[in-house]
Amino acid sequence: MKKRGVGLANMWYGIGNTGLPNPASAYIELLDDGTVIVLTGCADIGQGSTTTLAQIAAEEMGVDIEDVRVVSADTGITPDAGATSASRQTYISGNAVKMAAKEAKTILVETAARMLEVDEDSLILEDRKIVVKNDKDKFVKIKECLGKCRAEGKLTLGHGWFNPDVTALNPEDGQGKPYATYAFATQVAEVEVNTETGEVKVLKIFAAHDVGKAINPINVEGQIEGGCMIGVGFALMEQVKVDKGNIKTPNLATYLIPTAMDTPEIYPIIVEDPEVTGPFGAKGVGEPALIPTAAAIVNAIYDAVGVRITDLPVTPEKLLKEIKKERN
Amino acid sequence: MNKKLIKFTLNDKEYKVEVEPQVLLVDLIREELGLTGTKVGCGEGECGACTVIMDGKTVNSCMVLAVTVDGKKITTIEGLAKGEELHPLQKSFVEEGAVQCGFCTPGMILSSKALLDENPNPTPEEIKKGLSGNLCRCTGYAKIVKAVEKASKELNK
Amino acid sequence: MSQLKVVGQNVKKKDVKEKVLGTAIFAADIKMDGMLYGKTLRSKVPHGIVKKINVSQALELPGVHAVLTEQDIPGVNKAGIIVKDEPVLVGIGQRIRKIGDPLAIVAAETEEIAEAALDLIEVEVEELPAVFSPLDAMKDDAPKLYEKGNIMAVRRIVKGDVAEAFKNCDVIVEQDYTTSMVEHAYIETEAGVAKMEGDVVNVWVCTQNPHYDRKDVAYNLNIGLNQARIIQTTTGGGFGGKLDVTVHVHVALLAKATKRPVKMVYSRRESISNTVKRHPFIMKYKTGCDKDGKLIAWQTEIIGDTGAYASYGPGTLTRAAVHATGPYEIPNVKVEAYTVYTNNPQAGAMRGFGVPQVAFAHESQMNLLAEKLGISPLEIRMKNAFIPGSITATGSKLEHSVGLKSTMESAKQAAEKVLGDKF
Repeated sequence: MKKRGVGLANMWYGIGNTGLPNPASAYIELLDDGTVIVLTGCADIGQGSTTTLAQIAAEEMGVDIEDVRVVSADTGITPDAGATSASRQTYISGNAVKMAAKEAKTILVETAARMLEVDEDSLILEDRKIVVKNDKDKFVKIKECLGKCRAEGKLTLGHGWFNPDVTALNPEDGQGKPYATYAFATQVAEVEVNTETGEVKVLKIFAAHDVGKAINPINVEGQIEGGCMIGVGFALMEQVKVDKGNIKTPNLATYLIPTAMDTPEIYPIIVEDPEVTGPFGAKGVGEPALIPTAAAIVNAIYDAVGVRITDLPVTPEKLLKEIKKERN
Repeated sequence: MNKKLIKFTLNDKEYKVEVEPQVLLVDLIREELGLTGTKVGCGEGECGACTVIMDGKTVNSCMVLAVTVDGKKITTIEGLAKGEELHPLQKSFVEEGAVQCGFCTPGMILSSKALLDENPNPTPEEIKKGLSGNLCRCTGYAKIVKAVEKASKELNK
Repeated sequence: MSQLKVVGQNVKKKDVKEKVLGTAIFAADIKMDGMLYGKTLRSKVPHGIVKKINVSQALELPGVHAVLTEQDIPGVNKAGIIVKDEPVLVGIGQRIRKIGDPLAIVAAETEEIAEAALDLIEVEVEELPAVFSPLDAMKDDAPKLYEKGNIMAVRRIVKGDVAEAFKNCDVIVEQDYTTSMVEHAYIETEAGVAKMEGDVVNVWVCTQNPHYDRKDVAYNLNIGLNQARIIQTTTGGGFGGKLDVTVHVHVALLAKATKRPVKMVYSRRESISNTVKRHPFIMKYKTGCDKDGKLIAWQTEIIGDTGAYASYGPGTLTRAAVHATGPYEIPNVKVEAYTVYTNNPQAGAMRGFGVPQVAFAHESQMNLLAEKLGISPLEIRMKNAFIPGSITATGSKLEHSVGLKSTMESAKQAAEKVLGDKF
């Protein structure tokens, strides 16, 4: 018989290293034609940090995304941004890039204020222009303003570094402030359990994630969906088998990960509770994406068949054994 | 060693090469012909990263001896775009956010192409089945399935 | 704030076109003139002392350009993210602590020749008793991997008085949980190429942290940090598994020794068998609340098997300890988390850093409590969820951006819309 059940799980996740300094830095150069080069040590491993950092730079400099080129993760060229881990790069490198952009535009804004005969405070940068906030018809193009800067012998460079506000954990009682900010999430899973075979099919996952601010929503969704599937694997199938220190599952025929056939319908839901210390309110999402998934699935299995598994993964053999026990 | 001369079509170009009998198709493509878009993820036919299309069907090029492609027609990821213009699948993968690290992408796109060539209007379930031999660890497959659906609509226009 | 123009937009990934065209260059795709291929000889025993490594026959094999052992390392012969406890190569008289520990590296004209050279290296090892269970490893009479013992680190978090508080609980649930060792299974295996340019060694490699890699390369080659240049290649996934060095120092050593570019690409078997994993956890949970479902006391013990070397182990267990009680405000908490060495494969960072394991446990506990109280899983979570102003188990106050109640509401609404009254 096939039985369905629904389960819920929450998670929290501190952004950045735990109770340790973990700064990141960036350089920015605003070039004569109004294009921008960002130098960052941040390694993009497919999650899209290069694009996220480009968006942050573009927003802060008031240029288009096409105007920004990010050069990343080359120790001969780029400054240290620490690890792409702990879901930290959007928050920490994002802040570093934003600060670098702020510095790079100071001379630009100062020059524009003189050109427009207004206060620096009244200016904003958008659409490749330096615009008077309350009188948008009054502006100077960034490129023209750069011409003026260069004529005056001024270059437009910036650097920035950001270290999250944390304290070390006390070695005795663990008290302290380990993280500057946390991501939160709730996932609901619906499963179908085959009570004859013990097989579990995850049908749906509703994944609501508080990311502070989604710099790039489609990429945030991608992180959530990918995370959920690593969570499905963790819950139901993945297990490195080790015998006396020897790995018995050394290839992808013996170590199984989810395939497209295992994909449930995933509903990523982006919740934005802005983090005041984050770049444009952003926190992080990479790891949070998978954290509650296995728990939600296990709770859903209990809802379906009244059996609580406390040892992951929930293989069909394991579940079938428990279902039989429950019957007797 | 006793090299064998083989003739085949690769991405619409005729090739004549001498290969040793034990050389794998993936090594011929990557090492000898320099087309590194075809990836090696496992070398055992499990991950699909080395997928190429041979006479309309997908094969894991890590499991095929190069000598066996004599007289056959091969398509790799490099053969899909027409100059600057992306193939509708490449376009939809870009637009739908179906690419993260990109390592599985060439194989994934070629399996999608073979699927759509055979079944121009697949259901999401048929797409998942068609891609079940291609592993992806980043995307959770959701946006890949959407991208294939989108490309199928585009190709049927 | 003025309206955002670029932030919040679905901007296409900067590198996506190259990836769909197949022109993005991953480390394994790099080819250079005169490039050699590197391979690693690894230990077949989990614990032992190396008595002999004889490379002379391997060196004589035509096409072999270098066979390096520990004696050929100019620098520290140490790697490791938090503690430098990993040998780059285990030398004569030194200790092997896991199957797969590297003993020698070879550079040759082809992969096949390099592979054949490995078979010609003679190795003698005196085996030592090994320990494979973290629970056994914690015992006094267990074989010790290190002088100071097998308990690598302990993290304690104490808030209030749990022993006293459990007396005042109306409902208590106690349960043990375990989780498996997990492989990252990025589709791209580890790969890198090194090449000397003047006195600088360039290493093109898939990585999550080039600036950390630089330190391990420089310190092992005994060169300045400004002489080790790490260039990240397009990286085919990481999930925490590409934080540790793998091929990095080895290709750099071989490039320096041969004055030729050297490339190393791990096979899938080599990757799964020798690189870090998600820590398997053994967890004991005891959770108590009052009759209304308000959490009062929470006690957790976690044992994480970090295998032969620490990697990110203490970081993982510390993070697990901090997150062990879930996103809930609890006045009395006691958590103890042990990072334990064994002769098992090494565990390190993997997406979630110990939190997926504890989330499985704390969210099971919440459901067990709800069931005993006869309230819904959502209700017990709503009663205890962090809100702005909440104090965590480590005593920090959550000031802002605490969207947990919103994520619960949003997930509930979305689920109800699709599932109806099933939710």
